[in-house]
Amino acid sequence: MKEMMTLKGGWNVKYNYAVGPTGTRFFKALKGEAKIIAPKCPKCGLVMLPPRSFCERCFVPIDEWVEVGMEGTIQAFTVVPVKFESLPDPPYAIAYVLLDGAGTAMVNFVKNVDLSDLRKAAKKLAIGKRVRVVFEKKRKGTIHDFHYELLKP
Amino acid sequence: MSDKVAILGVGMTKIDSAKKDQKLDDMVFEAASKALAQASLDREEIDSVVIAACDELDGRCISSMLLAMPAGAYLKDEIKVTDDGSYGVILAAMRLMTGLFDLSLVVSWCKTSEAPLSDVMSMRWDPFYHRGIGMNHITAAALMAGAYAERHGISSDIPAKVVVKNRRNGSRNLNAHLRTPVTMGEVRLSPRVSWPLRALDCAPESDGACALILASPRRAKKLKRDAVRLAGFGWAADSYYLGERMLWDSPSLRIAAGKAYGMAKIKEPVAEIDAAEISDFTSYHELLAYEGLGFCGSGQAQDLIREGITAREGGLPVNPSGGLLCSNPFTAAGLFRICEAFLQVAGKAGDHQIRGATKALAQGSAGFCAQGNAVFVLTQ
Repeated sequence: MKEMMTLKGGWNVKYNYAVGPTGTRFFKALKGEAKIIAPKCPKCGLVMLPPRSFCERCFVPIDEWVEVGMEGTIQAFTVVPVKFESLPDPPYAIAYVLLDGAGTAMVNFVKNVDLSDLRKAAKKLAIGKRVRVVFEKKRKGTIHDFHYELLKP
Repeated sequence: MSDKVAILGVGMTKIDSAKKDQKLDDMVFEAASKALAQASLDREEIDSVVIAACDELDGRCISSMLLAMPAGAYLKDEIKVTDDGSYGVILAAMRLMTGLFDLSLVVSWCKTSEAPLSDVMSMRWDPFYHRGIGMNHITAAALMAGAYAERHGISSDIPAKVVVKNRRNGSRNLNAHLRTPVTMGEVRLSPRVSWPLRALDCAPESDGACALILASPRRAKKLKRDAVRLAGFGWAADSYYLGERMLWDSPSLRIAAGKAYGMAKIKEPVAEIDAAEISDFTSYHELLAYEGLGFCGSGQAQDLIREGITAREGGLPVNPSGGLLCSNPFTAAGLFRICEAFLQVAGKAGDHQIRGATKALAQGSAGFCAQGNAVFVLTQ
């Protein structure tokens, strides 16, 4: 036998994930008030984004919230010039941004950068560069309700 | 007499881009059979089977129910881990150390050619804050690579040298998927896949299965021949959230290595270890691993590469098999590292043997940007 057979298959499964009280509060603030709020650990004081209902390190529940700033600093970024299955059409840029007042960085798209030249785009998006949060006009209570933009594109 | 768990034999399929001539279970059967043959054991003698695989990449729910049998587990106490193949050795070794078992078969596999790898990797992100933001295994690795390069001022020729080193090593390994060496120029000209990573900075997607047989200290004592020992092992996991991790550092690897070195009584890893097989999912992963494994201080991995310390001819050859940059059967990659470390210590590595190796290290990792790490020290 030279040519072996293959069989095509797939699975298309749907889920209904519970967002929980912490996530619900975060997404409601995004959608209703165009604010980013974050839980603060009562023990170590870490302000966590994305929000969590407990501190991984101190292992205590959290019920204190703070509002973080609408600007922040890039901690890590990448620009994706090729198409990957299940990922957005290229090119796109994403960055982990430490928002002012937060203790951990949160990822989202950076949308106001010219990505036609990869090297130039990477220079503009450098670690340490400042960005602002931009809210979408129509918000649905998801992480896509906002993105980042460079202060100096 | 040693009180350590012994490794009696390993079995590996050839690692290829797409093993279309083998059904998944045939590939698993081949690896398990080869390990039994190398250890001169019958399946009946095995009293514990650990398998390590990923349902989503196997394309079958609870794939262990199908694949336990070709892994040798018919009517035996098969149990499965899903992190990385190397974690199977942790579970098997601990079971043997309880004194309740004597011979354990550990089997891992992955047929990436059958699976939508990027699709599965994007599904590994939580659905609330990460999925839909353009991240998979490659783009996450790129975030880490950029953060590491920025932190320590790493020029792009350093990761390129890692690629050239490992591809050159892989050309000596008959079992490797990619067996052609590459030049610095070819690495520099390969297309960017996610800034700053180029295509050649990233491991290929490969098919392969491997198996390994472990014996309890009690059983190992009865052996006439000298066996390779699992002198030490340790593991640790970092936070899931990349924004909470310092991506230029690998504290979980440092903790895992510290535990393994303590158990194996290793004080100076560079001086004492003869060869290391580590999980170089990208060239940058290899650099970070040098630092996590204590081969050098923070930010100094570039010196080891520049000075050729980790080349085949250097004081501490890293990935003499070519590593993941030549062969990447995803879930099974870590168990392949342990199998390769075994071949080095047993003197059975053929053309890629490091002469006189008596102590070898293997590292497996799981999750995005090596979130979890496991370290193993093998000795004669």
